[in-house]
Amino acid sequence: MKIDLLQMVESGGCSAKISPKQLEEILKYLPLPKDPNILVDIDTHDDAGVYKVNDDLALVLTTDFFPPVCSDPYEFGQIAAANSISDVYAMGGDPVLALNIMMFPAAKLPMEAYADILKGGFDKASEAGVRIIGGHTLDDYPPKYGLAVVGYIHPGKIITNAGVIPGDSLILTKPIGTGVILAGHRLGMVSDDNLAEAKRLMKLLNKTGAEVMKRYNIRGATDITGFGLAGHTLKMAKASKVSLIINMKEVPLIGNSYQLIDDGCIPGASFRNLDYAEKDIDFASDLDYNLKMIAFDAQTSGGLLFSAPSDKVNKILEDLRSAGLSDSKVIGYATEPKEKCIYLNN
Amino acid sequence: MRIVDTKGHLCPAPLIAAKKALKETAGGESFILLTDNQTSFDNLSRFLKDNKADFQVSESESIWTLTITKTIGEVVLTNPEDYCAPSITHFEKGNYVVVISSDKMGEGDEELGHLLMANFIKALKDLDELPSKMVFYNNGVKLATKSSPVIEHLRDLEKMGVELMLCATCISHYSLESVVGAGTVSNMYTITEVMASAGNIIKP
Repeated sequence: MKIDLLQMVESGGCSAKISPKQLEEILKYLPLPKDPNILVDIDTHDDAGVYKVNDDLALVLTTDFFPPVCSDPYEFGQIAAANSISDVYAMGGDPVLALNIMMFPAAKLPMEAYADILKGGFDKASEAGVRIIGGHTLDDYPPKYGLAVVGYIHPGKIITNAGVIPGDSLILTKPIGTGVILAGHRLGMVSDDNLAEAKRLMKLLNKTGAEVMKRYNIRGATDITGFGLAGHTLKMAKASKVSLIINMKEVPLIGNSYQLIDDGCIPGASFRNLDYAEKDIDFASDLDYNLKMIAFDAQTSGGLLFSAPSDKVNKILEDLRSAGLSDSKVIGYATEPKEKCIYLNN
Repeated sequence: MRIVDTKGHLCPAPLIAAKKALKETAGGESFILLTDNQTSFDNLSRFLKDNKADFQVSESESIWTLTITKTIGEVVLTNPEDYCAPSITHFEKGNYVVVISSDKMGEGDEELGHLLMANFIKALKDLDELPSKMVFYNNGVKLATKSSPVIEHLRDLEKMGVELMLCATCISHYSLESVVGAGTVSNMYTITEVMASAGNIIKP
């Protein structure tokens, strides 16, 4: 029997996240725990929490899980695991341990699909040097999978959303467009090549990108996931108290994602992200509508976005490309805070 | 008129159908698009506005009928006033929501009721803590139209960061789609949610 996980979901991957606007409303009423050992919490809109154990060691904690983004269970497991681990890399940490989080409809799918998802997650975690030491499964429909991950980091070397300095250049390590490609694929608008490219990128660990960041003592970074390029840059701009200028024509796109948007293939998540972020964004009057909308495309297991001093940019790009991140590019820069947090240009 | 039926389809399928039909329609010509999904309808409205297409909406039994007209030539998008208005920054917002269900304040003389409502909205701007949101329904939505005597005050409040939410059903009931002058059109679920999670509700 051929298993097609995509038959079971309306929106997969990070598109299935709750609207950032609703999330913010709720979190307002939830008190943040006070503890001097908590080095990073959601206050700076960061990717993961960081807790200091002693002067040389802090723990990075994060979790992420979502419904299928592709038909094949093994590939889904790989992508979900790469996405979950990514938050540790975005903070500059070394992922060490993880727990599986699984929801699986035992009556609707053969158990081999269950095994294949876990195997995909296990293999990807192993590639990252992560040991999966347990987990929890609910009988639930549609399936969902991800990891809760713990990483190590030196308390003095944390990379956060808040570390961007005016004058820095912004480097993106993976092209964007996974949300558009996946939505287009379900409607038969995407070639096998383009789908394969999107899946390759989603499975690609942000490990190599993070190694380059650490080599250059980068202090400001995030990974691009469900809130889209614009949503995550906005979180960065707010946390760092800078304005970020993004040149959308410089942003590398996956396959035919521009054409898909031009045909109206804009996933619902893009409108949710737009709704959340637009009040803090200046859209250039001549901004191409398709480029505007792709800035809000929800990414699953997207790349790293980090800020780097301009005089080191060429060296960094060289290192990223020779590490296999051939699409790495400078997509904008940071300035002193201006009226809006983000300026989206062509 | 051509009818594009997207009932039963979720985003982005209705957008793709709308874009295709727009491409195939001559300037000045219209077509009808049907959807039965609130989110698809919201996203379509947003998409059509951004793509400079005119449209009228009617809703019955959870089916939205959009009559979409492709505009001719270039539309002047920008409102010069938006550029001249001084930007107002940083205002404190309180954990309360103002609900405007009428265009009058209180019972009694109609003229007095209108005057009081105008004064109330004007006074909101001077409060130390602004409302987090303002919700408009039934006759209340008329206050957010272009010719309303308080439209400038509402636009100011919006610039000060207060979110104005207009009931979509009310806008279409009074056929005000083309004259909305401030705020965002919202559905009853979101409005109910906002009211349910408000610390306090003020209803003049």
